[in-house]
Amino acid sequence: MSVVVIGLSHRSAPVELRERFAFAESKIPDALNQLRESGLITEGVVLSTCNRVEIYAATALAPDDRFFARVKKFFVEHHAYDGELGDELYTFAEPHSLQHLFKVAAGLDSMVIGETEIFGQLKKAYDLAFSRKHTGARLNKAFQRAFNVAKHIRTETNIQRGSVSVMSAAVELAEKIFTNLAEHEVLVIGAGETSEKTARALQSRGVKKITVTNRSSERATALAAELGQGTLTVPWDQWPEVFERIDIAVSSTAATTHILDRAKLEPLMRRRKNRPLLLVDIAVPRDINPAVSELENVYLYNVDDLKAIADEYLMLRHIELDRCNQIIAEKVTALMMQQNLR
Amino acid sequence: MAWFTDRHLFFLAVLFYGSATVYSVFLWRKGFRRDDWTNYLLLAAGVALHTGAMLQRGLTLHSCPVNNLYEATTFLLWALGLASLVYALLPKFKFICAFAAPVLFTVGVFALMPSLDPPHGLKPEFSGALRSLHAATILQAYGAFGLAAVGAAMFLAQQHDLKVRKLRALLSFLPSIQRLEAITTRLTVVGFVLLTVGLTAGAWLPRKDGAPYFADTKVVWSALLWLVYLEQLVAHKFFNRPARQFAAGVIIVFALLLLTFGITNHFSALHN
Repeated sequence: MSVVVIGLSHRSAPVELRERFAFAESKIPDALNQLRESGLITEGVVLSTCNRVEIYAATALAPDDRFFARVKKFFVEHHAYDGELGDELYTFAEPHSLQHLFKVAAGLDSMVIGETEIFGQLKKAYDLAFSRKHTGARLNKAFQRAFNVAKHIRTETNIQRGSVSVMSAAVELAEKIFTNLAEHEVLVIGAGETSEKTARALQSRGVKKITVTNRSSERATALAAELGQGTLTVPWDQWPEVFERIDIAVSSTAATTHILDRAKLEPLMRRRKNRPLLLVDIAVPRDINPAVSELENVYLYNVDDLKAIADEYLMLRHIELDRCNQIIAEKVTALMMQQNLR
Repeated sequence: MAWFTDRHLFFLAVLFYGSATVYSVFLWRKGFRRDDWTNYLLLAAGVALHTGAMLQRGLTLHSCPVNNLYEATTFLLWALGLASLVYALLPKFKFICAFAAPVLFTVGVFALMPSLDPPHGLKPEFSGALRSLHAATILQAYGAFGLAAVGAAMFLAQQHDLKVRKLRALLSFLPSIQRLEAITTRLTVVGFVLLTVGLTAGAWLPRKDGAPYFADTKVVWSALLWLVYLEQLVAHKFFNRPARQFAAGVIIVFALLLLTFGITNHFSALHN
């Protein structure tokens, strides 16, 4: 009995193909039933996310080309696909199938390396197959080991460390300046999508008080309502007045000139008694004149600064890949030795 | 083992401080990316030996070992080392050891100079509960100022990285600058209160030959130190002196304290 994988992912297939082969959650148990009844596999788990559609299976048959051709045929027929398929559909036999499973669980095969969402999705897919008794000793062992390896990699390496998006980088910066974000108020200048995402990211880390300002007061009110309790609005011509109480300002307007410069901020900083102020300028063209960063206790980050942080984090994750692959290789060897001894 | 004196124990402690200093250089270079216990343990070993050395000296003298420059310096370092170990237990504060180790090592090497520790009899002239209180609280105040300087150095390092947008600011396991500023201020206040208590206790001590206190170099120096720290705190707390300037001030004043501590002692009739 050996573990095999067949599927397609963001690495091999475009989104049009991935969505064509996606399994609806309610249809997964039926698909696994059919596969098992065909005698091709004895155990199976279907993982279907926006970035990958994969079948993990344990089979008593020899995992050769003929075997994979039959599983591919099932895959195509099950989705009534009549187009051409080339390298989009990949297949793995042991030990590569186990390596792939471990990599997927640890987020190493994800679009954003090291992301953790896939861990939950894989666990959910396994739980579904387990509850319907589509898994047995072989896949149970492989999946349990995959979850353990993913946790081990998370704690022993830096693969999941740091912010790989502009919004999360802004939040991380705020946490390096302020001890408790719940105690600080945020001013959101501009009611666009980016502002909303950044405000939500800040809320997820404890920010409770947000004030929104926008040229169109209707949009400001709408965003304030979206952001929920504790969110206020301030008329566009009055936003400098709230600088006395806020500590973080996120600016993303469509203005073509700077809306905040040194001459405007200097007296505001005096009124703030020089408390630290984090300015996040995610607008292009920039809303805030870079000269304000020369002021004491002002920390200004624009979209390029945040992108550079996210890119460096991503690069660090890539550097960690070798270490993670080494851990996975060791764990797969250990698992296979354990299986062979039985 | 009669040849093995408290000075040998202190020497071993300084060796551990030295090892922690070398290890700190690696931590600095790596940008404090891992929550590190090695430095903490090296420093803890040093403080344990240091405590042993002070205990041995204290038991020999049957009083608080603060009778000459060596003893005063080791007492100051001990207060600094112990406080660093306690503060390092706070979340994200373990790297305080990496900032404290170089101070403990360099001042420890200075304290080991034989001329700072002239032999004295079993009953030193400098004794009594009020004198012990005077010396111990003032040296603990210096320890608090030292730790405040360490916190200020951490603040400046982190603040600089944030200001110039270095990724190191995010990668390091250092606390937020707001927290570092609060700790630095708190430690300076603690040091200032201890210094005030120590100086007040000193004012109640009998005057040698009835000479006015302010004729003594060390008393004038201590009064100036008290005023400088008062100015630092008042300017920061009530006149919004920016945190960066306050942190730099705390470091400069403590560096001056260390540099002039021995010299003023040397010229002081009351303390020599």
